[in-house]
Amino acid sequence: MARDRTITCKVNGRAYEKSVPVRQSLADFLRDTLSLTGTHLGCEHGVCGACTVLMNGRSVRSCLTLAVQADETDIVTIEGLRSDSGEWHQIQKSFHENFGLQCGYCTPGFLITAIELLEENPDPTENEVREALSGNICRCSGYSAIVTAVMAAARDMLELQKT
Amino acid sequence: MKAPWFEYQAPRTLEEGLETLRDAGEDGRVLSGGQSLMPMLNMRIAAPTHLVDINRIDALNHLTVESDTLRLGALVRHADVLRSKSIREGWSLLAEATTQIAHIAIRNRGTVCGSISHNDPAAEHPGVLAAYDGTVVIASTEGTREVSAEEFSDGMMSTILEPGEMVIEVRYPRPAPGAGQAFVEYARRLGDFAIAGVAAILEVRNGTCERARLTIVGMGDGPFRATGAENILTGETLDASTSAELFAAASAKVMDEVDPAEDVHASSGYRRHLAGVLTKRALITAFARTGGV
Amino acid sequence: MRFSNEKIVGTSVLPDEAIPLLEGEGRFINDISFSGMYHVAFLRSQYAHARLVSVDTEAARAMPGVIKVMTGAELAGKVEPFRSMPNRFSGGESVQHWLAVDKVRFCGEAICAVVAEDRATAEDAVDLIEVDYDPLPVVTKAREGEMDDAPRIHDECANNHLIKREYERGEVDEAFANAHAVVERSFHIGRKQAMCLEGRGCVAAFRQGSFKLSVWMSHQLPYVVRHYLAKHLKLGETDVRVIAAQTGGGFGQKASIYPEEFLCSYLALQLRRPIKWVEDRLENMVASTHARENDVELKIAFDKDGHILALDSDIWADVGAYSTYLWSAGMEPLQIAGLMPGPYKVPAMRYVTRGVATNKTPVGPYRAVGRPTASTSLELLLDDAARQLGMDPVELRKRNLITADLMPYRNANNLLHDHVNYEACLDLSAAKANYQKLREGQESAAPNGKLRGIGVACFAELTGLGTSTAVGPGTLLQPGRDAVTLRLETSGALTIAAALPSQGQRIATAMCQVAADELGMKLEDVNCVTNDTAMAPYGFGTFASRTAVFGSGAVIKAAQELRERLLALGAHLLETPKEELGIVDSAIQTLDRSKSISLANLAEQSFFSAKHIPDELNQGFEITSFYDPKFGSFAAGAHTVVVDVDPETGDVEIVRYVAVEDVGRVINPAVVEGQIIGGIAQGIGEALLEELIYDEDGQPRTVTLADYLVPSSMEIPKIELHHANTPSGAIGGFKGCGEGSIIGAVGAIACAINDALSRKGGDLRAFPATPERVLRALNVEMRDA
Repeated sequence: MARDRTITCKVNGRAYEKSVPVRQSLADFLRDTLSLTGTHLGCEHGVCGACTVLMNGRSVRSCLTLAVQADETDIVTIEGLRSDSGEWHQIQKSFHENFGLQCGYCTPGFLITAIELLEENPDPTENEVREALSGNICRCSGYSAIVTAVMAAARDMLELQKT
Repeated sequence: MKAPWFEYQAPRTLEEGLETLRDAGEDGRVLSGGQSLMPMLNMRIAAPTHLVDINRIDALNHLTVESDTLRLGALVRHADVLRSKSIREGWSLLAEATTQIAHIAIRNRGTVCGSISHNDPAAEHPGVLAAYDGTVVIASTEGTREVSAEEFSDGMMSTILEPGEMVIEVRYPRPAPGAGQAFVEYARRLGDFAIAGVAAILEVRNGTCERARLTIVGMGDGPFRATGAENILTGETLDASTSAELFAAASAKVMDEVDPAEDVHASSGYRRHLAGVLTKRALITAFARTGGV
Repeated sequence: MRFSNEKIVGTSVLPDEAIPLLEGEGRFINDISFSGMYHVAFLRSQYAHARLVSVDTEAARAMPGVIKVMTGAELAGKVEPFRSMPNRFSGGESVQHWLAVDKVRFCGEAICAVVAEDRATAEDAVDLIEVDYDPLPVVTKAREGEMDDAPRIHDECANNHLIKREYERGEVDEAFANAHAVVERSFHIGRKQAMCLEGRGCVAAFRQGSFKLSVWMSHQLPYVVRHYLAKHLKLGETDVRVIAAQTGGGFGQKASIYPEEFLCSYLALQLRRPIKWVEDRLENMVASTHARENDVELKIAFDKDGHILALDSDIWADVGAYSTYLWSAGMEPLQIAGLMPGPYKVPAMRYVTRGVATNKTPVGPYRAVGRPTASTSLELLLDDAARQLGMDPVELRKRNLITADLMPYRNANNLLHDHVNYEACLDLSAAKANYQKLREGQESAAPNGKLRGIGVACFAELTGLGTSTAVGPGTLLQPGRDAVTLRLETSGALTIAAALPSQGQRIATAMCQVAADELGMKLEDVNCVTNDTAMAPYGFGTFASRTAVFGSGAVIKAAQELRERLLALGAHLLETPKEELGIVDSAIQTLDRSKSISLANLAEQSFFSAKHIPDELNQGFEITSFYDPKFGSFAAGAHTVVVDVDPETGDVEIVRYVAVEDVGRVINPAVVEGQIIGGIAQGIGEALLEELIYDEDGQPRTVTLADYLVPSSMEIPKIELHHANTPSGAIGGFKGCGEGSIIGAVGAIACAINDALSRKGGDLRAFPATPERVLRALNVEMRDA
């Protein structure tokens, strides 16, 4: 039985070639093999959303994706949100300014989901934001500050686009 | 919750995929979206010896709209369904039901054919396919065969797929012009599996209900085709003055005929009751959407 | 003369604590790795109650990559099991082995620990262990478990009463005999759990750094853990360092002492390797403490004007298989009973309360412990009384609230109410909700045949408890005082050290704000460390809404002393009398600023040019202060909730939510708001969604997050939050705010639902109010198979 496979993928803009156990999840590949521990495991059955990353521009549960399935794909995680010069993505700024996190465990998944939402729908209503975020569980905040943060990010990103 | 070991193949053509699946034998499983299979592996409630990952088979990734049929290949994701204007306009029941499936990240990976193959009684797609009188195209190294949605389902989480067989396409006949379509479900939270759901298609011509299709989701065995309720409606005068009584009768018939299971979310009695309530609501909505014909 | 800043407390300072979290650089347990580290997975019991006949680990031990398989038999005699804290209300002892030895008492109890090179291999090996169980009869209901003929879960514990207490104060029988009205009902609150996004876990390392044993844990009480680790592993306390790593939620679930982390620590010493264990979600559902599952029979006597004359309650708490270590099985039953009166005048009360052992996961502390159960029962009964007496429910509450003019007021439960205004909260809540208008429009307001209900619940929440009031009633370990160290560094910056770790409440930020104001320092010159026993003075940790009171109080005390020392040295260095000096923006200066010296300069001189400084002025700028507020500080609130109930599906939708809270003097408004709304969200979960269900064989049926439902963004409405704050009597006037809001939420939602149902003669006394329970309460016919 071939227990390992070699994959090539891009993570946060950087190319990797790694040998991975076929049963390893993408989440564990990111965390253990690449030491990108910002993507979190809250349930390992796809419900809580803490493990959400972007794969070829679309949000996916990295706990339900095998590392071997990430071969020839482009992955973005929370670590990839800030620029090379260290400047934060607008969504990170908005979450900070609006107290959109408490324990921070769910935050990586929310940031990724919010980025995908605003890419598809740059000017969402509050209800659209709530619905888009409904697949990410937060146990600390009651969601109010998170929704505010995403609405603020949407506004600020639209402003930036105008200038 | 780490998956046990398995053999893994990622074929690039359908031919290769079917051969691999055949060679994998009884404990081989197709990996498409993985949104149902991977949780089972992580929880170690499934331990397939082989995973045949079909995600690299481009030929399976087609969403084809023909004049009288919608054909979805095995790699069409729920998200693809939601993005399709043709489906929204022509097969609105399918689009509406798909909005209820889980959440964005799940929909980005989960596939329609995967859902049909998994046949969870609380899932939307099997019931919707049956409401359209849809068919399932099954392929193996022996060739392909096409069966009706109802024939395909073999009970809870069970289908007629034999080892070495996989679903490569599902087909939805286009409903008649002016048909009213509706999907109504009740779940504890948005995106949760339906406690009960109803897919309804009504064709009304000159004030008469010419055709009614009603499937109930969440009843325990697989999609429940409510033929008794359909018969109550078919051929009857259906207008503002008769609809309330007809829909009440159809709803009562559904409650008589379903045999729902109980689980942690609901007793069989509550499910039965809900099936009745949602039947009425789905019929009202479908009727309101019938075009003037 | 005092001219410190006094501007930073009360502002929503952005927390530096959040920065690593936003970048994915928080170091939670699972993010910590050491080379040579091993991983642990547990084999857990498949039976709720059984004798362990044999445990065959041979195949597991032979698997490549497996280092060791530990059984209870091997461990017995080497470590002391957890004997329940001798509690003066204990019915008997419960002894919990770290790994089960002869018996298992709940599904999920740990039987073996596999140590392997990686977690997946450890889980592979777990699958190879064969256990021969001899099933025993199972207890799954508290009321059945206390019967004389029920199976005994602990040999020395008759009637499975891990705890039983009776209490009476005032003339209860007389009150009931002379009452104008008596209302009486039974209630059931379902079992739930904290469901932190991050499960438990630890990394235990041998000789990592200067300590023999260093343990990183996802935990709320690092020093308490250190105390018990030293005790159980027979180490000196200075051999042990405990660090509360970045912790993904706690809510009380991470405030108990559990076998798994202790076993990992033992293994680290034995194998001399770092040992990691991360609790996955399936484990967490059965291995971390549960909460609630209470039955309450409550009776209240009223006079003709609706005044409460007496309370009589009978309480059963289903506390699971063991009395959890540290807080004991007494927590829930004793607090439900003792805190039943809430903010209302209760002249006489009586209770019998029991913590009954069952073959389920043990119950431990969880947000607001017994108060949601107590408050919900009481509030529902107040509404019943209002209906019976023909009185408006808000009016009835007003007549019974302990008013400010009566304070300090000692209630029949012996608690002293002071520095709190319950009436102000209720009045503001009703005003903001436009209560009169809501009532007037109630019948016609709801759309589509739905039933509209309005619920108002008031609560009192005792926070920041000092030594005179027991957090864990009857337990030996009595918290009530905590310490903080303030230290001026060589750079002139200030370090605050306390053993008060945060799980998201921004405790460090809050203490920095308080210190900055108290000392007159710039906020950026103040830092805080809260999670490490190697850095902090002794403290009990984060629980029971205490850190705002204790941390801030101790900071203020220490700051006062530190100020004096700084000003004394400043006076010497500036050759100016001390009385003419103050500290502003991290500098000691005269009022007219003609003379000043920065704290940086002062520190440099103190540390590096001490020759010219008189000895008595240079005894160091490191102050440790202990603070015991003696009593608790009552926080309070009044929540007004409007629901629409769908009488066809049983669906409950919250259409309006007004929350008024008294959280004392606010340090960081945005942080406080986050706590309050977070508590409301958990209350919505408790009232509508969350329930852990067991079958009659003690098998858990809610084992994944698809079964155990917590609110998503769609289930939480917009919360209209207002404040009616009264400063506490503690130093600084602070109160805790982490737990109050969940009490208000469960109570108000329960009342709103019943208000809706009562219009159709319906009555719901079991929660969560699932759609099915709602329909059954409306007597909707539902045919089972």
